Amino acid sequence: MTTTRRNLLKFVGGGAAGALLTPAPWRLITDTALWSENWPGIPRPARGEIRARFTHCTLCPAGCAVRARCVNGQPVSLAGVKPHPISHGALCPWGIAGHHLPYHPARVRQGPVKEALAAVSRAITQRGAGERVAVLDLRPGRTVSWTYRRAMAAIDDGLYLAPRQPAYAIDLTAAKTVVSFGAPLFDGWGTPGNVFAARANFRLVQIEPVETRTAALADVWLPIRPGTETAMAAALAGEITIAEAARETGVEEQAISAVKEAIGNSPAVVLAADPGSPLMSLNAKLRALGRTVVARRESPVPDAWKKAAPSTEMAAVPDKAIRVLLIDESLPGGYVPWQDIQPKLAPNAVVVVFSSSSEGYARHAQYVLPAPVYPEMAEDIGPAIDTVAAVFRIAAPLIAPVVPVVNPGELVARIAGLPQTDPLRDRADAIHKAGRGSLLSYADGKSTSMKEVTADDFWKTLNQGGCWMDDTGKKAAPAGLGKFGRSGTCPTAHDLPLAVVVAEARRGGLESPLMSKLERESNLRMTANRVALSPADARSNGIENGGRCVLETACGRLSVVAMIDAGVPAGVVEVAGGPRMADLCGANQRARVVRA
Amino acid sequence: MSANKRYGMSIDIDKCNGCGACMMACAVENNIPPAPEAANDRRGVTWIRVYKVDNHLAYPERRTAFVPVLCQQCGHDTPCVHVCPQQAVDVDPETGIVGQMPERCLGCRYCMVACPYHARYFNWWDPKWPAGMEKTLNPDVAPRMRGVVEKCNFCHGRWHAAQQKAAAAGQREIDAADYVPACVEACPTGALRFGDLSDSSTEVAQDAQRPESFRLLEKIGTEPKIHYRSRRDWVREIASAPRPEGKDGLRG
Amino acid sequence: MASVDKEFITRGLRRSSTGRFLLWILPWVALLVFGLYSAGLCLVKGLNQTNMDNRFAFGLWIFLDLTVIALGAGAFFTGFLLYILKIDELRSVINSAVVIGLVCYSGAVTVLAVDVGQPLRSWFTFWYPNVHSMLTEVTFCISCYLTVLLIEYLPIVLRNRKLHDVPSFLVFEHELHKLIYVLAGVGTFLSFFHQGSLGGLYGVLRGRPFAFREGLAVWPSTFFLFILSAAAVGPSFILLTTWLVEKLSRKRLVRPTVFRRLARISGLLLAVYVLAKAVDTLVWINRTSPGTGFQAWQYYSWKPFGTWILFAEIVVFGLLPALVMLTPRLRAHTGWLVTAAAMACCGVALNRFVMTVQTLALPTLSFDPYLSYYPSWQEVGTFLAVVAYGVLVYSFSFRYFNLFPEERELRLEAAAQEEEELALAGRY
Repeated sequence: MTTTRRNLLKFVGGGAAGALLTPAPWRLITDTALWSENWPGIPRPARGEIRARFTHCTLCPAGCAVRARCVNGQPVSLAGVKPHPISHGALCPWGIAGHHLPYHPARVRQGPVKEALAAVSRAITQRGAGERVAVLDLRPGRTVSWTYRRAMAAIDDGLYLAPRQPAYAIDLTAAKTVVSFGAPLFDGWGTPGNVFAARANFRLVQIEPVETRTAALADVWLPIRPGTETAMAAALAGEITIAEAARETGVEEQAISAVKEAIGNSPAVVLAADPGSPLMSLNAKLRALGRTVVARRESPVPDAWKKAAPSTEMAAVPDKAIRVLLIDESLPGGYVPWQDIQPKLAPNAVVVVFSSSSEGYARHAQYVLPAPVYPEMAEDIGPAIDTVAAVFRIAAPLIAPVVPVVNPGELVARIAGLPQTDPLRDRADAIHKAGRGSLLSYADGKSTSMKEVTADDFWKTLNQGGCWMDDTGKKAAPAGLGKFGRSGTCPTAHDLPLAVVVAEARRGGLESPLMSKLERESNLRMTANRVALSPADARSNGIENGGRCVLETACGRLSVVAMIDAGVPAGVVEVAGGPRMADLCGANQRARVVRA
Repeated sequence: MSANKRYGMSIDIDKCNGCGACMMACAVENNIPPAPEAANDRRGVTWIRVYKVDNHLAYPERRTAFVPVLCQQCGHDTPCVHVCPQQAVDVDPETGIVGQMPERCLGCRYCMVACPYHARYFNWWDPKWPAGMEKTLNPDVAPRMRGVVEKCNFCHGRWHAAQQKAAAAGQREIDAADYVPACVEACPTGALRFGDLSDSSTEVAQDAQRPESFRLLEKIGTEPKIHYRSRRDWVREIASAPRPEGKDGLRG
Repeated sequence: MASVDKEFITRGLRRSSTGRFLLWILPWVALLVFGLYSAGLCLVKGLNQTNMDNRFAFGLWIFLDLTVIALGAGAFFTGFLLYILKIDELRSVINSAVVIGLVCYSGAVTVLAVDVGQPLRSWFTFWYPNVHSMLTEVTFCISCYLTVLLIEYLPIVLRNRKLHDVPSFLVFEHELHKLIYVLAGVGTFLSFFHQGSLGGLYGVLRGRPFAFREGLAVWPSTFFLFILSAAAVGPSFILLTTWLVEKLSRKRLVRPTVFRRLARISGLLLAVYVLAKAVDTLVWINRTSPGTGFQAWQYYSWKPFGTWILFAEIVVFGLLPALVMLTPRLRAHTGWLVTAAAMACCGVALNRFVMTVQTLALPTLSFDPYLSYYPSWQEVGTFLAVVAYGVLVYSFSFRYFNLFPEERELRLEAAAQEEEELALAGRY
């Protein structure tokens, strides 16, 4: 057969027609769909060995137990540890996305470590008489807090500063009635798992000016005039008549008597938003001390640590006394407003902050040193307010720091010339030596008496997922709740018309970029740059919903977005917490909102 | 072949404190990217979204509840399924779960128009994670590209994993404890429960029978498989059609 | 200035000079370029360039697509009247109708391609069709009908003076012409179907009680209402455009009887439509909507969409123009005719607006807010590109092809009359 053009065409045509009968071309078409699925620029999740690892969340003092799902060692999701007797497998939204923090785009990635060290040692040696070296520890009660206290004891005129730590713990399980003066019981107070586990057994009376998440789920919410909490407490304590209290607080008499009756008849506890508030002493009147409000016990510490500086509150420091201030802001915690710190600083003071965020003290310090973030650093967690027995748990690092970081504890120890040991290990050994309590291992859920555990096994389990819990001894009444009395109740008339109410307590520090889901993408939570006003106040100031405006207090101004909400009482501006808001409002709780 | 399941959820609104843990767990589990700068609550991607709902009254009568809304997994006349022009949406007869195939989706958004629960989300932007954060992606779920619709699928990756586990153990049925969606696992208050509605011994099936139980827009007739419940009368009213009066003063 | 493109202009027709023509198209070209830039942004950067969102998943584009396709219905319906029902008078507007149809449909399809998130996957609909979806029906019918329109447009092009010189084109055109009855039939079938499917698109939305309608057989009532309304305004739009072209070109293109004929057809259908729509609305208010738990009054208590919109749609822009077009005395005045036709077109646009925009603005869940939406400039720009494209295609077609077969005859008549008048003037 000769090859002609016609034959060739026939062959090609026949071939093409035949190919259509095979699956190949059809398969090819379907495959282009797969191609469009793998669009360039879309990351492919890494695959590999999947394993569970355990740690503890350091984002708040609750220190919930965490089970991390890791791919090739990299955590890809976090969940609670179900059999844990305190955290009950619960995590808050911040805790669930904690493993994103190392990659936060706004993270502090570098800092002048050498310059800072030089400036600090120069200032320490050159300081004048009476000039102090101070560490401000925003999360007291940790092992590193002991390091700071030891370091400050080793330095002449060293000063260990910390927000006041309550000397008590709250036993929610023992309460039948909980009267909360604005304590965010269901939104960040104590250990979430513990609160929700106890929830079915107590009645909650929430006393606060606005309907927060906690008020929304309370059995009774008493909407009180801002600043009149003391009057309410006085009525509950029987110091003033219910009619008087009703007049002052704006709450109906019936409602107040009902609460008074309830707390008289059942084991009750009174909580305040600020654990150091004098309102807490109302508990003494309710005979709650030793029952629902008990003395806190700390886990054992090595004997060698007993030479430690005492904890001092910022207010107790004389003005212009601090020459060197080292602030540990590596973990989000109680923020001391800058206007409370600034007067205490000497004119030539050196301020160094260890932080991963540029939002907090980094705005005020000369030197910002990059601190590790959760879950990069081995750390223990201070006690939670609702944990009765002493506990010791370690946040074992899940990944190595992704940026060069400074370990604040090690650096302070070095400055003070403390011996270079691992304080966590020393503490663990001390606990083991004491021989009390038991060790809970998360991998198998088994609890073992400390008497049956070796020191090395104890340390190993603590690092691989476990926690030490002290024996539940006899409950004791706490010391130092203070005396309850009426003082400065109503806010006096002021030229600033609005009372500031923090409706959403926000911790400082970094939060997962995915928090946009709860904020911008759903408006479920208030962002730090928003305020909410009643329709009446908004109208009188010409403010529109979603409009830009300025929040003014005696301390300064902040540009915010206003939201109009008929759920906000007139005369109140709702804000979300956070360092900027704390600096702006501080103890001064009056503000004005004007159009930008 | 085992009997077909009818997976559903029960949500106790009286327990939900609106913390948002479910939304975070969902985004982590399903590789949903953080929102770009320009995104807002109408352009975000939240397979489960907790709405702040109130009784339409002003302070101090105002009362608030939190209502998590996810794909309601409609069991009858599923509105999104029959509108999709190219079969990118289907109902798995084995599980009753309404599935979405993003790789098949054209991005016409007709299904979003069809859904009365606004439980479907469009990818208005290219998915982007901050540098390094892509290491935290879940290997069981493929990230989606821009221009397609996505929604809750009761954590399909987890169902798949549970099936594989059962198959490896030589079992035909998956262990109920092995298949729990991320939001249910994450809920710290225990407001969310998940299980097989066709098995009357499960907690969800019993929850669905409670007198205070209701479903959203039940009268439309789509047989949603998310059962809400509340003891508060005004909360149960959210099940019905909107009331136009008194809508002023809403946040956001 | 002498026309350089004189060779291409149909014999016996007068067209403006090339310069004037260029001046006319220049702004439209500029608009087209701007529009293409807007569309390009949406394609490259994604639909975040629009103001649509998860709740307003359809926006300006879908609303205008529905409107444009309804207005473009004149093409199929005129074909149907001319070739199937043999109303021969309409031969004088059929070519123009085909061009308008082509412009409307191709424009709508182009905008749809920008509107979808993954345009490269458009063919999935043909590959994995979901036969239950109204959108599948729409996609199939529109693309098929667009092909029909292109084939119908070909003879108009091929009859161009210059192209006619090519013998094979002549043969091809002749063969095509023989097909015209088949094409008209197929086109009519496809058009009826997709106009209906576009209505069905909304009528089937069980989850949107504002749009949801009960149906006959597998189709909701909106299916039939959309067919009727499109058939009713198609001739109106032909009337309107023809009148507009007459005004712009300052020429008489068709005889007044054609206008009146179009108006009568339009008016008749519109009257039937208004009746059907009224019955449908009553059924919806009293049965369909309450059956889904939604009281119809509540849809109209969200401002600004009060009951006035229902009144405007059915009475002002429906019944009123229908009555005008059906009243012989009013029909005799071009002014009334054109006004009524324009009102009918507005009525259909309003109906499509209500179906798309109001449906999405209304809340479905009790805790939904009522939403508003304004298109972004990119959305507006993309749509303007289609308008500019339409004007350009029509302008070129009008200049080079014989869109109005009676034009030459009318011109000769007018010239003769003028001569006669001149002669008369001369005599006396």
